[in-house]
Amino acid sequence: MAIVTTEQTSPREAPLSERSIVGWVHKNLFSSVLNSILTIISLYVVYITVKGLWVWGIGDAVWIADNRRQCFKISIDGACWAGVIAWLDNIFYGRYPREELWRVNLGAILLFIWMAPLWLPRVKAKIFIGLTTVFLYPFLAGYLFAGGGKDIFMQVMISAAIICLAGNTVHSIIGMITGGSLPEALIRLLGKKDTSEKTQRNILYGILGFSFVMVFLWQLGWSVETVSWTKWGGLFLTLVVSGVGIASALPGGIILALGRRSKLPVIRVLSTAFIELFRSVPLITVLFMATTMFPLFMPEGFVLNKLVQVIIAVCLFNACYMAEHVRAGLQAIPKGQYEGAHTIGLGYWGTMGLIIMPQALKHMIPNIVGSFIGLLKDTTLVSIIGLFDILGMLRSISRDTPWLGLHKEPLIFGAMLFFLVCFAMSKYSRHLEVKLSTDHKQ
Amino acid sequence: MTAENMYEIQEVRGQLASAASSEVIIDLNKVNKWYGTFHVLKDIDLTVHKGERIVVCGPSGSGKSTLIRCINHLEEHQEGDIVVDGITLDQNLKNIDHIRTEVGMVFQSFNLFPHLTILENLTMGPIWVRKLPKVEAQEIAMKYLERVKIPEQADKYPGQLSGGQQQRVAIARSLCMNPKIMLFDEPTSALDPEMIKEVLDVMVELADTGMTMIVVTHEMGFAKIVADRVIFMDEGDIVEQNEPFEFFKNPQHDRTKQFLSQIL
Repeated sequence: MAIVTTEQTSPREAPLSERSIVGWVHKNLFSSVLNSILTIISLYVVYITVKGLWVWGIGDAVWIADNRRQCFKISIDGACWAGVIAWLDNIFYGRYPREELWRVNLGAILLFIWMAPLWLPRVKAKIFIGLTTVFLYPFLAGYLFAGGGKDIFMQVMISAAIICLAGNTVHSIIGMITGGSLPEALIRLLGKKDTSEKTQRNILYGILGFSFVMVFLWQLGWSVETVSWTKWGGLFLTLVVSGVGIASALPGGIILALGRRSKLPVIRVLSTAFIELFRSVPLITVLFMATTMFPLFMPEGFVLNKLVQVIIAVCLFNACYMAEHVRAGLQAIPKGQYEGAHTIGLGYWGTMGLIIMPQALKHMIPNIVGSFIGLLKDTTLVSIIGLFDILGMLRSISRDTPWLGLHKEPLIFGAMLFFLVCFAMSKYSRHLEVKLSTDHKQ
Repeated sequence: MTAENMYEIQEVRGQLASAASSEVIIDLNKVNKWYGTFHVLKDIDLTVHKGERIVVCGPSGSGKSTLIRCINHLEEHQEGDIVVDGITLDQNLKNIDHIRTEVGMVFQSFNLFPHLTILENLTMGPIWVRKLPKVEAQEIAMKYLERVKIPEQADKYPGQLSGGQQQRVAIARSLCMNPKIMLFDEPTSALDPEMIKEVLDVMVELADTGMTMIVVTHEMGFAKIVADRVIFMDEGDIVEQNEPFEFFKNPQHDRTKQFLSQIL
């Protein structure tokens, strides 16, 4: 006998626990006597912890005082934030000359302006903007921070950086308004829209060359005072070291990972040896090698700035870690993708650059950002070899006469700063993952 | 393919007229290949003429996939000569890259690029290998998408398409490079029965345009309609080859008879 359902079952409302807060609380927190007791105990523990922190850190805290003794007078068991506030400039900029601080701030603002288009939805050519950030911004910022005389190489790079910055910004504004790009807008402005592609390209090159010459001549006219790297410090120094590390770790890691997977034995062995060597040694050892041992091997009179040595060490170290992340990502790509790319005639670099890497890097975002966060935190190690990065600065507060012995508050402040930066990075990586996922949505 | 829709195609089209010319486009001469110590291809001799359509069949592990993968050098053969379109396949990377632009290939697992839209999948080759302007490449891509009957999917990602649609995109992607030869490596084996027909239809139409095709497949109905020659391989040998009518009617070799009795 056939069983036939004649009427369609109509959908019913979901049970209470799925659609109201009361239902959720009942299901998840108070489902049984034991769970209710556990919930209440946990809430009590959270309450006393938060209350203690609140009273110490905000309720009884001292915000304005001249020294630690005064802090104690006002409140014996509250936090003494006054010390941190008095040292804020030092924490952020180290001993950078106070009248030159605008240079550091300007550098930060320029970076923001440079990278902002990457977050704007309608802007085109984001890869180009990203690449110029990595390859040109460091020259501009480097000169801004260090100052002094410019040699011809620096002059060219600075001019290129300024042009790119201006071009990117105008391009992004045009993109936000019309959804077009800067070259298109220029051509339309000159009324050459109907000319051939080649003429248009030549006009654009002409404009580019002209503006380069103008900027080059203009930048000859100004220079900024030298600020020795020994005066750099605080959060600024931490961000410089980790920023250069982050910007160079990924390209370096990609090159090393490709080297390690290369079919050419010499390249493969060299890359593998390099990666394994750096990965098997603690960062602190690499830093000591770079700053104290390395100069011993160099010819007499060869003096390299310690900061540069540290940055190079950090870059190499992190490139090796990154290489292993990238390699893991490469291994996750099925062989069929290589074959698919080969059959449409793409060679090695085309296959890697257009097909394999974009997919591999997408898989690797969580690991890559994790590695960046680790890098940011690891840079505090440079305080051990005598650079006054943020950790060094925070610790020297307790050695400053008025604030002698003030340990807790600066370190907690530092922890909050780090948390803020790292959490933002982690959130952004999550956002990127969601935005870039194309293969799973059905 | 079910017996029913195999019949359907035959009914509508009848057998295609041969488009083979006398010009040789692929020539394999005493080709041998080993995977490690395992001998997969044994002294393979094969000559394919321009416009000829060949179906390769045989039990799994018989070396049929390996054979066609050697033709565009996805696999490297160790002995013998392979000449494709007048160019000998050897260690010269330039030659290999050149041959790959002339030989399209469609895989069992599609191998579309999941991070690119359908249109970007199709324009990748024309833009980066043929160096065509983007607009022109997109026109070509749309032309072939229309030919495989899914122009409306151009802006989707491969993950959003059904298997049959993905395979048709893969065929269109190869065609965008304007190849002289198309290789199909079990193009319908990973598909649901109702999707097999839509892919086979596209392949039959392609055969109708006079494309040189080598198809590894178990779709004997397709072989009957399209093939100029059916090749049966077993354990690395070409055991038997014949035109399809004779091949299915009077298989000569015992192994062929056994194979056909299992799949028909």
